[in-house]
Amino acid sequence: MWCYPITSHTAETSSCKPLAPLTFGILPFISAEQLVERFTPFAQYLRKYLKVPVRIETAPNFLEFARRTREQQRYDILFTAPHLYPQASKAGYRLIAGVDSPGMRAIIVAPKKSNIHTLADLKGKRLASVQPMSLASLLIKKHLTDNGLTPDVDVTLVITPTHDASLLSSYHGVTDASSLMRPPYNAASQTLRDSMRIIAETETAPHIPISVSTRVNAACEAEITALLLKMDIIPEGKNVLQHNRFVGFKHVIAKDYQRVRDHLLE
Amino acid sequence: MMHNSIPLLNSLRFRLIASVVTIEIIMLSILVWNNISIIHTTHTDRLRDTASSILQQIANTSGRHMVAVDYATLEEYLRNTLHYNELAYIVITDRDDHTVISLGKVPEHKADIDTHPKQVKDGMFDVTEDITVANQFMGKVWMGFSLSIMDDAILKARNRGITIALIEIILTIIVTVFIGLGLTRRLALLSSAAAQVEAGNYSVSIPTEKNDEISQTATAFNRMVAEVDKQTHQLKKAEAQSSKLLKENRQLIHTSLEVQEQERKHLARELHDEMGQCLTAIQADAELIRDNSHGDSRIQTSAEAIINVSSRVYDVVHSMMHRLRPSILDNLGLTEAIKEEVDSFKNRNPNIHCECICAENLNNLHERTSINLYRIMQECLTNITKHAAASRVTIELSSTDKIISLKVSDNGSGFDVDIPARGLGLIGMRERVTSLGGELLLQTALDKGLTISITVPLHATS
Repeated sequence: MWCYPITSHTAETSSCKPLAPLTFGILPFISAEQLVERFTPFAQYLRKYLKVPVRIETAPNFLEFARRTREQQRYDILFTAPHLYPQASKAGYRLIAGVDSPGMRAIIVAPKKSNIHTLADLKGKRLASVQPMSLASLLIKKHLTDNGLTPDVDVTLVITPTHDASLLSSYHGVTDASSLMRPPYNAASQTLRDSMRIIAETETAPHIPISVSTRVNAACEAEITALLLKMDIIPEGKNVLQHNRFVGFKHVIAKDYQRVRDHLLE
Repeated sequence: MMHNSIPLLNSLRFRLIASVVTIEIIMLSILVWNNISIIHTTHTDRLRDTASSILQQIANTSGRHMVAVDYATLEEYLRNTLHYNELAYIVITDRDDHTVISLGKVPEHKADIDTHPKQVKDGMFDVTEDITVANQFMGKVWMGFSLSIMDDAILKARNRGITIALIEIILTIIVTVFIGLGLTRRLALLSSAAAQVEAGNYSVSIPTEKNDEISQTATAFNRMVAEVDKQTHQLKKAEAQSSKLLKENRQLIHTSLEVQEQERKHLARELHDEMGQCLTAIQADAELIRDNSHGDSRIQTSAEAIINVSSRVYDVVHSMMHRLRPSILDNLGLTEAIKEEVDSFKNRNPNIHCECICAENLNNLHERTSINLYRIMQECLTNITKHAAASRVTIELSSTDKIISLKVSDNGSGFDVDIPARGLGLIGMRERVTSLGGELLLQTALDKGLTISITVPLHATS
């Protein structure tokens, strides 16, 4: 990790300069406002050291984001779901790093006042979920199937736009239970969490991969990679990581993501 | 009638109506102007607020679509917004200022941004707002609001206001005219009544059925007219009595003067006939005694004394006869009598240059005219001698077909006509002229001499 020089930090000019502005494509896993609010420090960090404008961009939904990634290579720097990266890779995206994390899990929660205590209790109930192509949705469906419950047959899945919306859905009694990724649940208020009960937790999936499009040259790619991998030692980078609730970035292997995709979509 | 001759601008009725209508027009003009101003401000402020609200709403809503580059959804949303009547166009530009959505009647060139509809010059209120998400610039929204609908609304409101104001002015004029006529009608009655009183009709009375200021004035007016009527009757009665007395006095004076003249004439004749004959007889007898005294000196002396005394008495009697009735007046007429009197005046006052210009054809006047004019001339010369201290006197006697004129003028001290005369000479002269049906005119001032002009009708002559 320490062997990567931060070229842009000291260089007067950046290799990314001819590419200005760089488009930072982020999977719409949260609302656009939340997404901008959350990733603006990240973009500013990149901008400062790459010395080129970095624009945050997303898409109306997962499918459109995936399509734009696959068909248009619209995003220079791609922050996408693990199971969507293989398709991006086929379009030419090059994996440069991944969020340093043991993995991500999805959970199923139900209000404590309800009589839902196990997965079996979900039979015939309404379960709030996020977008169908999201990692959380795929993990939950896989988990339900593995536990003998057929999605949309034994359990009615109610699609909500975001993880927070899914959580609040059962909290307010609109649905019987909610499914979402663990990090958003942990970020929810203590009061809300105290009123909920975790009844299931899925298997682990790799965290978010970062890749660059074919438009990004090798030198620029190296600068970006270095900035990501050294983020946890640069003070500004630390602040960005803290803001995004990330530990840091690390080298990742593309095959891990293909394996997840294959596993979840089999 | 007096009230009919009042100039229009002085008419209370006109002033009242004109004042009320003028005030009404001024106030309504201010009100309409104020209302139009308020309407304009309200409409422009409303448009500004509406534009600001829509702009803010679109800017807020567009953010997530801009981040997601979801222009289709954004355009669909904006198309719904474009249904708003006044909204003419919407343009969305991205972070590179490229137009990504363009709806409505978009101007060919980028319009100047207006801060308030009042500043608009091209009929389009152009506004813009940054599209931001989490304080990050994502693009811009440009909107144009047509002012035509607002202008129509303002025009309608203004026309409505002006129409209402005009109706109110017309109603005010009508009501004011009626009220003004009602109020001033009774004043007109007062004016008319005053005119009738001025014309001498004291029987006029104004109705006082209402208990208000005009009725109180009318009551006072009626009382005043009654009092004036009473006083006028008393005055007329007194005037009639005075007139009668004056006439009687004047008649008495005239008769007295006539009697005086007759008596003077009679006395002069008596003196002539009796005293003259007696004195002549005495003188003749005295001369006879003197001539037959036979040398007796005492007899001769006594006879001479009688002759001398009788001669002096005759002179005295002759002088008295002349003063009582100048025989020349009866024998030769007025012209000769005046000439003789002037000659006598000259003899008595050699220092006064006296000129007599007398017409020669006035010797056969009526006795009454002759004696009165003669006496007046005599009184004038006596006054000049006594009071005028004049150095020049002119007596003119002339006539026309209808009148006889006598003018006596001097260059003496004159007198102030406003100071009443102490003597009766002037009064006597005036009465004599009046008795002849003529006129006497005085022209004088202090140290400016005196001219007395007398004209009497010629018909007074025989």
